[in-house]
Amino acid sequence: MELFINLTINGLATGMLIFLLAAGLTLIFGLMSVLNFAHGGLFAWGSYAGVWLYLLTNSFIAGIIGAIFIGILLGFITEKWIIQPVYGNHVQQILITLGFMIVLSELLKVIWGPNQIAVTPPAYLTGSWEIGNILIIKYRAFIIVVGLLMYGLIYYMLKHTKIGLIVRAGVINKEMVQSLGINIKRIFLYVFMAGAAMAALSGMLIAPYAGVIHGNMGMEYAILAFIVVVIGGMGNITGSILAATLVGIIGSFMAYYVPELSLAVNMLIMAVVLLFRPQGLFALKG
Amino acid sequence: MIIGIALFVFPFIYEDRSMLILFTQIFIFAIFAMSYDILLGFTGIVSFGHAMFFGIGAYCVSVMLKHHEPTMLLVTGAISLGVLFSLIISFVVGLMTLRLKSHYYAMLTLALAGLFLVAAEKWRTLTYGNDGFTFQVPEFFHDRLHFYLVCLVLMVIVYFGLKRFIQSPLGRILLAIKDNEQRAESLGYQVLHYKIIASIVAGGIASLSGSLYALSLRFVNTSVFTMDITLDALLMTIIGGVGTLIGPVLGAAIIELAHHWLTGLAKVHWIFERWLILFGIVYILAVMFFPNGIVGSVRKLVSKKEKKEDVSTSENIVKEG
Repeated sequence: MELFINLTINGLATGMLIFLLAAGLTLIFGLMSVLNFAHGGLFAWGSYAGVWLYLLTNSFIAGIIGAIFIGILLGFITEKWIIQPVYGNHVQQILITLGFMIVLSELLKVIWGPNQIAVTPPAYLTGSWEIGNILIIKYRAFIIVVGLLMYGLIYYMLKHTKIGLIVRAGVINKEMVQSLGINIKRIFLYVFMAGAAMAALSGMLIAPYAGVIHGNMGMEYAILAFIVVVIGGMGNITGSILAATLVGIIGSFMAYYVPELSLAVNMLIMAVVLLFRPQGLFALKG
Repeated sequence: MIIGIALFVFPFIYEDRSMLILFTQIFIFAIFAMSYDILLGFTGIVSFGHAMFFGIGAYCVSVMLKHHEPTMLLVTGAISLGVLFSLIISFVVGLMTLRLKSHYYAMLTLALAGLFLVAAEKWRTLTYGNDGFTFQVPEFFHDRLHFYLVCLVLMVIVYFGLKRFIQSPLGRILLAIKDNEQRAESLGYQVLHYKIIASIVAGGIASLSGSLYALSLRFVNTSVFTMDITLDALLMTIIGGVGTLIGPVLGAAIIELAHHWLTGLAKVHWIFERWLILFGIVYILAVMFFPNGIVGSVRKLVSKKEKKEDVSTSENIVKEG
């Protein structure tokens, strides 16, 4: 029983991190139909910049703020200089974002070196609570709380604010939104920056969770995020969180019982979903 | 043509083992990049999983040579077996995935190549995982010069074979699909069938290059399945010239040579160790401003000067792609 709960919590925490990464990806895709292969690079940058600040100032909060800041900044640069010039051409978008991914991850190694960096959670998040026989690691609980808060925030923004209304309308029909006199390009930019900030935040949060960060982490987690986006349906936040939880929990159980298959199973799920329901399990559009 | 003859004569005049190996590497990657261009440049499919065919070819040859007496017959058999495997797998994969839209296809091939990588990592009894294993090559290949010539000949054969393929009616239909899929479909062509054919051809040739790669190293490990291999093909094709056959060859030469020299420069300054960053930037600029790569851009310049005259039909076809 304890094992079951522990594995579930573990999976939930991973799921939340993947959700943060996938949320930006899915919104960007839903709105702009750009599949951003550089998303993992933004994630890794958030991670390195955040950890660097955290180790420098010894303040975890400063690290998080730094990560979000760098995410927004890089999101702006990516959208303006990389995505906008090739807007509307899918093949070029895929190629160019992948190229940017290479540049981002190599630049990372230039600045912070190719070695792994070890990270521990701050003192107030180390240790664990004991409830009966169940051990809950504080940092994992913290990640789950942050993930749920972020989900709540995005959900509120999308459903109850004007900009959210525009974004939702844009996902369904962007030509119509544009014809109503809304500058959809600016909305694209905002969404992209928000998505990049979430990716960076996720990168920062994963650092103490995984214990080490390394230069190639971007692509690793980006693949998981792609899987989540495909399973959850493009442009659907609720689908993303459900799919991310699913992927996280499956990953955590598989890693315990059949470690050989943990990544393979997720990819198989994605392949099956793509083959039989390419719009995703929880898709908005048919 | 002159360059081709020069390359044949080159090793007899200039004897340098490391240059010989470098050039062999260029030929191998040129074959691989050409196969990639069949997908990207001639059919308009973006695959991020091309490394899986490369890896299949590499492992087929390595495993066969590891367990049996290395003879030329066996090598030929193993290469053919690898190609056969790749043909079957690319057929199945193509059948399943090619009906999806471009970004889904890119993601799915990325995931499938990832699956092959994981499988190769875990099937340790056969592949020895990331540590890899060495194996014996036949007597004939012990001389690097022989292997150099074999690779060169194979590259030339592949080049002319693919050229013939592109100029055939089938190749024309592929170009039509690339330019406008809906139109090709409405003209009555079964687009999916042609895409599958393109991916089978590309897969088989990629497997051949993978086999040669393993033979040249006499060693194999799971790195043949990694994303880096696909990235190499992508960089070579884009920088050299998408939609031409000489482009990927040129791209392979540029990237391998630059890689060689820049890593050599790493002793001067550590930043050269990160040579990929330079290529990433060149690649992005190429996608943005020179979507036809070096060869395409040069051809455009030349054809502007000649004012559409004296451009042979074959060049026209290639340029349109």
